[in-house]
Amino acid sequence: MLAAKNLKKKYQDDGSETQALCGISFEIRKGEFVAVMGPSGSGKSTLLHLMGFLDRPTGGSYSFFGRNIDDLTDAELAAIRNDEMGFIFQDFNLLGKSTVFENVELPLLYCERTPPRKRKEAVEKAIASVGLAEKSNVEAGKLSGGQKQRVAIARALVNNPNVIFADEPTGNLDSLSGGQVMNILRKLNDAGHTVILVTHETYTAEFAERLIRLKDGRLESDAPVKYRRGTEQFVK
Amino acid sequence: MRFHDAFKSAIKSVQHSKMRSFLTILGIVIGVASVIILMSVGQSAQDYILNQVKGVGSNLVFVIPGGTSGSKFAAPASSRGVIIKTLTSLDVDALKREPTIAAVSPLVNGQATIAYGNNNNSIPYQGVAADFFPMRGFGVSSGRIFTSSDVGSSNRIVLIGQTVAKTLFGDVTPLGKFVRLGNIPFQVVGVLENKGVGPGGIDQNNMAIVPITVAQNQLLGITYYNYLLVEANDAYNIDFVTSRVKTVLRQNHHITDPAKDDFTVETQADILSILGNITSVMTIFLTAIASISLLVGGIGIMNIMLVSVIERTREIGLRKAVGATTADILKQFLTEATLLTLMGGVIGIGLGALVTFGAYLIIAKGLAVDWTFVLPLDAVLLGAGVSILTGIVFGFYPARQAAKKSPIEALHYE
Repeated sequence: MLAAKNLKKKYQDDGSETQALCGISFEIRKGEFVAVMGPSGSGKSTLLHLMGFLDRPTGGSYSFFGRNIDDLTDAELAAIRNDEMGFIFQDFNLLGKSTVFENVELPLLYCERTPPRKRKEAVEKAIASVGLAEKSNVEAGKLSGGQKQRVAIARALVNNPNVIFADEPTGNLDSLSGGQVMNILRKLNDAGHTVILVTHETYTAEFAERLIRLKDGRLESDAPVKYRRGTEQFVK
Repeated sequence: MRFHDAFKSAIKSVQHSKMRSFLTILGIVIGVASVIILMSVGQSAQDYILNQVKGVGSNLVFVIPGGTSGSKFAAPASSRGVIIKTLTSLDVDALKREPTIAAVSPLVNGQATIAYGNNNNSIPYQGVAADFFPMRGFGVSSGRIFTSSDVGSSNRIVLIGQTVAKTLFGDVTPLGKFVRLGNIPFQVVGVLENKGVGPGGIDQNNMAIVPITVAQNQLLGITYYNYLLVEANDAYNIDFVTSRVKTVLRQNHHITDPAKDDFTVETQADILSILGNITSVMTIFLTAIASISLLVGGIGIMNIMLVSVIERTREIGLRKAVGATTADILKQFLTEATLLTLMGGVIGIGLGALVTFGAYLIIAKGLAVDWTFVLPLDAVLLGAGVSILTGIVFGFYPARQAAKKSPIEALHYE
């Protein structure tokens, strides 16, 4: 379970302070597909960074399957990110001059429990699962936007994580590619992965089963999605 | 992150920016090559000089006028330009009576113009006794050497080196011809064998040798000697002979306190030791200067690595997001810097060896000097070691800068 209690985040920059999160509480159970929505500046990306152990809160508490962020060192946070989390970013964050294989392999380079001989198998399986087996040796920078995001998804699931964090995964994609990406996320959720999706697009959020709305750093609503979209219904 | 993965990652990074990598390591290449060249050429020069001295003969003792300050490496006063007249024929006669000594040859040195027809040249000359030739292993390629009778009769005869013969006579045989040395006519009786540079730094092909009596009385107008060459009797240990030479000279010069010796006695081993030390110090000094370029190269590496860290901020953020720790990033960038400098070191060693070999071909083959090609193992190890150390030292700061970036700040870097 992911549990946030009165979670706060304040940024300080050149003497000015910005309160990005003003005390948010919620719980997310294993296997849920949760969308976090809100307008620009609402704090949704900040929340995802805290949930994904990419940043530390300035107030309140947050625990990831029983482990409180405040009790963990940076190295322990890195190990949990590597072992139990997968990240998908809006702008893909691929190594453009490296091949698809090398990009997907990246998390495994830091994974002590996956011996080098098992890496190849895991990487090929992840690439095949997003339908890019034939692009394995192509430089990531030469792929289309949709293909790049699928590579990012393969990278996110190569270590078979408990939770996948997706930050505006369809933001830079056309309808067709966006649909493909959302279908993959939906299938991953169906396979048992917890998926936490940050988006400002309602039609993307409606792929989730639960919708958390934020506004000005506060929780506006937290409710199930009334009309959940099917896997073929992605239209921008 | 395993070292193997960090190494593979570093190789890929170098491959992705070949030109930049090449320019980055250029400073290290030049630095290491300079160190290799100076150490190798220095070693060759040292070997060459020491071989020349060894060629003089290990059973020879040199007596030089003037004492030293007592320090092992202090030069005798005469070598500092002070004219000392203490070595005379009385010393030679006394030494010749000593049973531990097989032969004694006094020497004087001078510089004069040698002329034949319209050709002339300023050359060093030596005045020697007849014993000098067998003692120093000097022979002639044509003509004859002096006899004791030539020296005793003050015959105006001269032996000239190969270069002198070529300069003055071209292809004509000089034997029997009269040349003017210091405006005094001398008959050429022989041309010396081809010899290199002697222990005193004199090109032995570009000099003349005359009987010592003629040199003293007619060319220089002196009664003392510049130094004595003493050959030990093979039946005696060289150190014992040295002590006997000192005892005889002290008796002759009425010296009771060895600290007040007005002469210096040196063996070939002493000279080898001094020359070895001098050439070693020179090599170290020059290598130290060359090492400055390694420092400059290292700063270049640091500069480029810092730029690379800034350019790759998002990559660092991504790596941290997927599980890289601070230590992993530090290891990756440090490996990259070290790989670059090691490559620079290897190329530098190769380049240095190539230049050294080129120098060997020019000096040994082109100039016909007895020069050897030496690539000292310690120079190679030093070059490789210093290049790795440069990578670690100058790569650490940029790697540290990369490692301490927060993952989220790095991911959002524009």
